Amino acid sequence: MTHSSSVVDGNQFAVHLSDVWKMFPGVVANAGVELCVRRGTIHALLGENGAGKSTLMNVLAGVYRPDRGQLKLHGQVHSFRNPADALSAGVGMVHQEFRLIPSFSVAENVVLGSAPSLIQPRQLEAEVAAMAKKFGLRVDPTQPLWQLSMGERQKVEILKVLWRDASVLILDEPTTVLTPSEVDELAEILRRMAQDGRSIIFISHKLHEVSGICSEATVLRQGKTVATSLDMAATDAAELARLMVGSSPVAPDRPEVATPGDPLLELTELRASGDRGIDAFSNITFQVNSGEIVGIAGVAGNGQRELADVIAGLRPSTQGSVTLNGADVTAARPQQRFRAGLAYIPEDRLGVGLAPRLSITDNAILRIYRQQRRGPFIVAEKALAYCKYLITRFGVRSGDPGGPIAALSGGNLQRLLVGRELDGQPSVVVAAQPTRGLDVQGVKAIQDLLLDQRKAGAAVLLISEDLDELLTLTDRLLVMEGGVIRGEFDPRTVSRHEVGMAMLADTNATTR
Amino acid sequence: MMRRPRLDLRDQPLAGGQPLAFGIGLAVALFVGTLLLLSAGHEPLKIYTRMFEASLGDPDAWAVTLNRAVPLGLAGLAVAVAGSMGLWNIGAEGQIMTGAIAASWVARIGGEWPGLILIIAMLIAALGGGGLLALGPAVAKAKLGVNEIITTLMLNEVAIRLAQWLIHGPWKDPDAYNFPLAPMLPEQAHLPTLFSRAHCGILIAAGVIVISSVAVKYTAWGYELRIAGSSEATARYSGISLPHKVLTVLVLSGGIAGLAGGVELTGTADRLTESLSNGFGFAGIIVAALALMRPSGVAVVAVLFGAVQIGGQSIQTLGVSSSVSTILQAFVLFGAIGAGVLSRYRILFEGDTHAVPEEVNK
Repeated sequence: MTHSSSVVDGNQFAVHLSDVWKMFPGVVANAGVELCVRRGTIHALLGENGAGKSTLMNVLAGVYRPDRGQLKLHGQVHSFRNPADALSAGVGMVHQEFRLIPSFSVAENVVLGSAPSLIQPRQLEAEVAAMAKKFGLRVDPTQPLWQLSMGERQKVEILKVLWRDASVLILDEPTTVLTPSEVDELAEILRRMAQDGRSIIFISHKLHEVSGICSEATVLRQGKTVATSLDMAATDAAELARLMVGSSPVAPDRPEVATPGDPLLELTELRASGDRGIDAFSNITFQVNSGEIVGIAGVAGNGQRELADVIAGLRPSTQGSVTLNGADVTAARPQQRFRAGLAYIPEDRLGVGLAPRLSITDNAILRIYRQQRRGPFIVAEKALAYCKYLITRFGVRSGDPGGPIAALSGGNLQRLLVGRELDGQPSVVVAAQPTRGLDVQGVKAIQDLLLDQRKAGAAVLLISEDLDELLTLTDRLLVMEGGVIRGEFDPRTVSRHEVGMAMLADTNATTR
Repeated sequence: MMRRPRLDLRDQPLAGGQPLAFGIGLAVALFVGTLLLLSAGHEPLKIYTRMFEASLGDPDAWAVTLNRAVPLGLAGLAVAVAGSMGLWNIGAEGQIMTGAIAASWVARIGGEWPGLILIIAMLIAALGGGGLLALGPAVAKAKLGVNEIITTLMLNEVAIRLAQWLIHGPWKDPDAYNFPLAPMLPEQAHLPTLFSRAHCGILIAAGVIVISSVAVKYTAWGYELRIAGSSEATARYSGISLPHKVLTVLVLSGGIAGLAGGVELTGTADRLTESLSNGFGFAGIIVAALALMRPSGVAVVAVLFGAVQIGGQSIQTLGVSSSVSTILQAFVLFGAIGAGVLSRYRILFEGDTHAVPEEVNK
């Protein structure tokens, strides 16, 4: 149900969000956000991961209801109860994960949910084709969806929103699934839609793409608006990067300078494909030495997750080599790499590092159950004793060790997982986002464990999106963007700004 | 304004949820059955009493029920073993058939063997016969990722046609006056009787269920199975070979279903028939689902289901269609699954306080 009133001020804005607050337990996702989007423009919504972009757009699209704040479309106040309300008021969102049915044709997908009661395929296809032509979307309405590339599927999602005659289109990081030429095509499509009088909100954290497409930008940081309706033509990229990553001082308690020893982890010319079959990263060459922490900074989705998986042996590399303690393990299985001294703390804790439906004990013995066998049996007492040992040594707050692992809080899950991985005194530790989502105490505990490993002479590779964490903990900092290393920095001397610029790949034309 | 209800995940499932769910399922089934019987002009109380007496009323009734529980339990176990790893073996029906065919074949060549040796050979052959039918789907799943639900389901038809061909063709009994019947089993190929009409199959089934439960719960093999069933990514991460696991588990599952066919043949049938599998393989899916895919829970559910089936057959003499039994079985499942959902979720109405999604922002 939508409530409307005849407020006239701000009438020039297609979208006007003011003082939007949205809180989740323990997190303030939006703290008084402002957003003004002019009719017929392409507006960039910029911010790092966790800055509150997606939450804000979910508020605008009716997925979340704001705790406080006002939402005006074309001068009229609205209050959406669900996405259908938002759609009928003309707000459509193209999500990152497409919601399409592979066995349906393009036309059927486009009209899904708002089809006439009597479906006449020919006529629908003709209508969809006409709409696609008008906006320069090159898709064949009769083609079954499963035959389409990711870029083409995105066009179907855009058509879906246009079919419902949305005047405001939200695109959530639309370029992540696209090839460079498809990005250019998308830009052209968006321009046509803007000329048609529609307003487009383009969520991104890639500055170089946004600057060519959008005319204005709003920047969020930590749930707050740091800049509203910046004129993109008059703002240089350096300024935008500064706005996005901020300039907070680096925490002082950095560890002593390391005296690195032998290289324990060496990557040479490494390359691998992502889930969609295109290169996730290529030409990655670096080494991590005994007694140092090397950090990898970067915005999510730039190949870091795949890199960690390749090092751990969970994803095949297509080129290059991985060397552990001087031994080539490029073709080795995950268990062989573990035995060779590799500990891997995966980004996805419950689901990769831990088995969600099993007990705490079952999860504790994942790495050592092979040593706890008597005949075909796992000795229950040994398993329980080991679980209790991990719980005590790493300060896991848990109830019954036989209870379900999923009952543990995030911090305790991570303590158990990190503890289990580090207990075997690994020589190489790969930690992907090890402190993400943890509370302050949990963050500290995990960071201390990593520093202990460094002191004990392990080579630690820390992949993180938290720039402060990287600048505090690491001895060397690499920045990954678009699947390649964009630069190496000394975290003791580099400024956040420089790292931020490299993360956003605004190093002139060296983008992919 | 109308407040719309929705389901909200409980922090902890309700204690004792599954037995309770089963009880609620039975209650729902009895209620629906009452309405059905009334609408057909029967006296529900009389019918239910008869059902109970015929299935659980005295030792003779128990014997029949237990004999029925044997194939149900083994088929349920077959499905549950695969289910522990998140695989669906929908082909138990056909595997029962190939198990029985393999056992019949042994009986044909071993007609002169002593009873114990013959029976053991028949049961081993039954294991192999069921496992063999599952081998194709297992290899296809392990090597190519072909959906095992489809392949195991399709092979049911193949197995039943194979049995028909044997009975109508090469194995047709020349002494059966041209009726399409397989020859009778040799006398010594019948399982010894335990009490009343109950045969030793119940001991075999119980033994296999206990061994399987222990294997899944306490061995390294079972641990790897449970890890893989909980999360394939975790299994890969810890170095468990998924293709190898899929292969062994599906073949084992088929073997257990085949054993059900072998026991049914030596226990209650006196020859291979087209209808020997009698829907046990499909009922086994229901049994395993009600046991929450836990091998240890299969035994109890199988006995209860056996009782419902036997009770349902018994009321035909009162002029009630045996379809009533089938409908009752279906509603036990509906009711129990519905109740199972409520033990894990609660119903909230719009505007009530609730847990918000944890993922706040990407």
